[in-house]
Amino acid sequence: MIAVEGLHKSYGGRVALKEVDFSVPEGEIFGFVGPNGAGKTTTIRILATLATADAGTASIGGIPVSEDPYGVRQLIGYMPDFFGVYDRLTAEEYLEFYAACHGVARRRRRKVATELLELVDLADRAGDQVDTLSRGMKQRLCLARALVHDPQVLLLDEPASGLDPRARVEMRELIRELRRMGKTILVSSHILPELEELCTWVGFIDEGRMVAAGPMSEVRNQVISGRRLRIELVDDDSDAWLAAEKVIRSRPGVIGVDFVDSGLQILVEDSFADQDLLSDLVRRGIAVRSFAQVPGDLAEAFLRLTGPEGEA
Amino acid sequence: MSTWEKAVTLVDNPLIVKDAVSRMRSWRAPVVLTLYLSLLAAFGYSVFLIEAISAGSHTGAAQIGGTVFSWLTFFQLTLVCLFAPAMAAGAVSGERERQTFDVLMVSRVTPLGIIWGKLVASVAFMLLLILGALPLFAAVFLFGGIDFEQFVVTQLVTVSTAITIGAVSVFLSSAFRRTLPSTVAAYGCAFAGLVGTLLVGSMLSILIAERQVSADVHPLEFTNPLYALWVILDSPNGAGMHLGRLLQLLVLAPGGPNSAGPSLEPWQGTLLAQLAIIALSVYGAVRLVGGHRAPQPRPRTGDETEGVVPEEEQA
Repeated sequence: MIAVEGLHKSYGGRVALKEVDFSVPEGEIFGFVGPNGAGKTTTIRILATLATADAGTASIGGIPVSEDPYGVRQLIGYMPDFFGVYDRLTAEEYLEFYAACHGVARRRRRKVATELLELVDLADRAGDQVDTLSRGMKQRLCLARALVHDPQVLLLDEPASGLDPRARVEMRELIRELRRMGKTILVSSHILPELEELCTWVGFIDEGRMVAAGPMSEVRNQVISGRRLRIELVDDDSDAWLAAEKVIRSRPGVIGVDFVDSGLQILVEDSFADQDLLSDLVRRGIAVRSFAQVPGDLAEAFLRLTGPEGEA
Repeated sequence: MSTWEKAVTLVDNPLIVKDAVSRMRSWRAPVVLTLYLSLLAAFGYSVFLIEAISAGSHTGAAQIGGTVFSWLTFFQLTLVCLFAPAMAAGAVSGERERQTFDVLMVSRVTPLGIIWGKLVASVAFMLLLILGALPLFAAVFLFGGIDFEQFVVTQLVTVSTAITIGAVSVFLSSAFRRTLPSTVAAYGCAFAGLVGTLLVGSMLSILIAERQVSADVHPLEFTNPLYALWVILDSPNGAGMHLGRLLQLLVLAPGGPNSAGPSLEPWQGTLLAQLAIIALSVYGAVRLVGGHRAPQPRPRTGDETEGVVPEEEQA
């Protein structure tokens, strides 16, 4: 659905993008990861037809963005990292205005606005002036605005930036809901745990260079072999820990076991059956308080890919 | 986008409605309207009192009416020059400052649709002010001294001047990233267009009189709205010139008067010149907005100095 090949962009002789390549299949959530200034916004602006690449091609739904920007604009919903709102317009009027800008028929605009306000949980604020809404509400309204013409692709540039934890969760759930609705979503962020829970595909960009891109597990496996599990026990005595460690080490697929912060952290192969280990521990009378996969693989993968050894 | 769709965006332009709603909900709209009408009414009444007191026994009501109307017309044109840049100079730059411009650019509204919508929305409020002042002008009719043609033509020149200043201001708003410099430039252009061209045109007219022994005025003066109003109010007919002669004088070409083309009254010349300025301004603004590209990068600070990105990247 989104295809970028050899994208190159310079500003005043300084390179912002160097041979950027990636693709996003239909219906996936693509996490576009990189530090501030890595080239995420530049890439997204090119995809959104707001900037032109010096070289390379970018297409959405098979339409090259440089050749048919109006065609691409029909397919995309764009949410910039920084955006403003109009004073003295209600949330409903705001959406109706953008529906009109996207050519939605006059008789359908009110209905579209009402449905989108319900989707982003702002139906009760429909009559409130936009500039009186909280930051989180404005972010959700802006996402609704990007949906007024029912686009197939969403380009979301740091959609959760500046939001409090609750609003971040709400935004994440909203994006998941949009995927269930069949949208292809490119979402940029430099907050990796946030993307790790959300995305099915991922692309790492650093200093304008794409260092890795593909399905989440594939990218992670490029640099990290296996997954990490953390196990905490109810009984905090050495016998229990030793018994648990013995059981764990006896399972095929276990690569290593460490005792970290009052818990066991184990490295297992990707195909390791977590549930079998858990039931084995319980069957042997070991009381397990928590058993979970350790998040943060994405951050580690990113650091390895963009660190000194990654660049070597 | 087809030509038909482009035409539709000019007629069914969401920016016009949005800007109108947004502007009329602001406290500024009634304040500006009240201020405009109050200034005009106070000025007209002052002129009337002065004329009535200083009028001799032979001065008729028609003469007083004519004088009050003339002063009101010139004062209204001055007010238009003061208000119009403020209405339009933030049209596009305001969208940039508000960070709503990019979102607008990825919609189906064309650059022409954006400029057209901004221009109509800005000019509509000026037209509201001019329309609101019509009863004041109509009151002068009670005294006589002004015929209907003079009334219509003076209003036409005023409206045309408002649209011209609006169009130039929208162009400047597209050229500048910030509203403050575009407003300053718009006021500069309005002053230069109204007073500057009259002064330079008058000096060139003197030059023409000396060199060519002709009473013809230079086109800069001929197409000046103040001159056009003065001619309409003083002597409505008889100041016309052929288009060929105007073009001849524009480049100060020597030789006998060129009588090619239609004969134009100053107000007609003014409207033609303003139409050309409006068309050029809209064209230029559309080109500027249509050529919208990512902003130029700024040097980054601290550890991030290696990469170069547009300012949006620098979160």
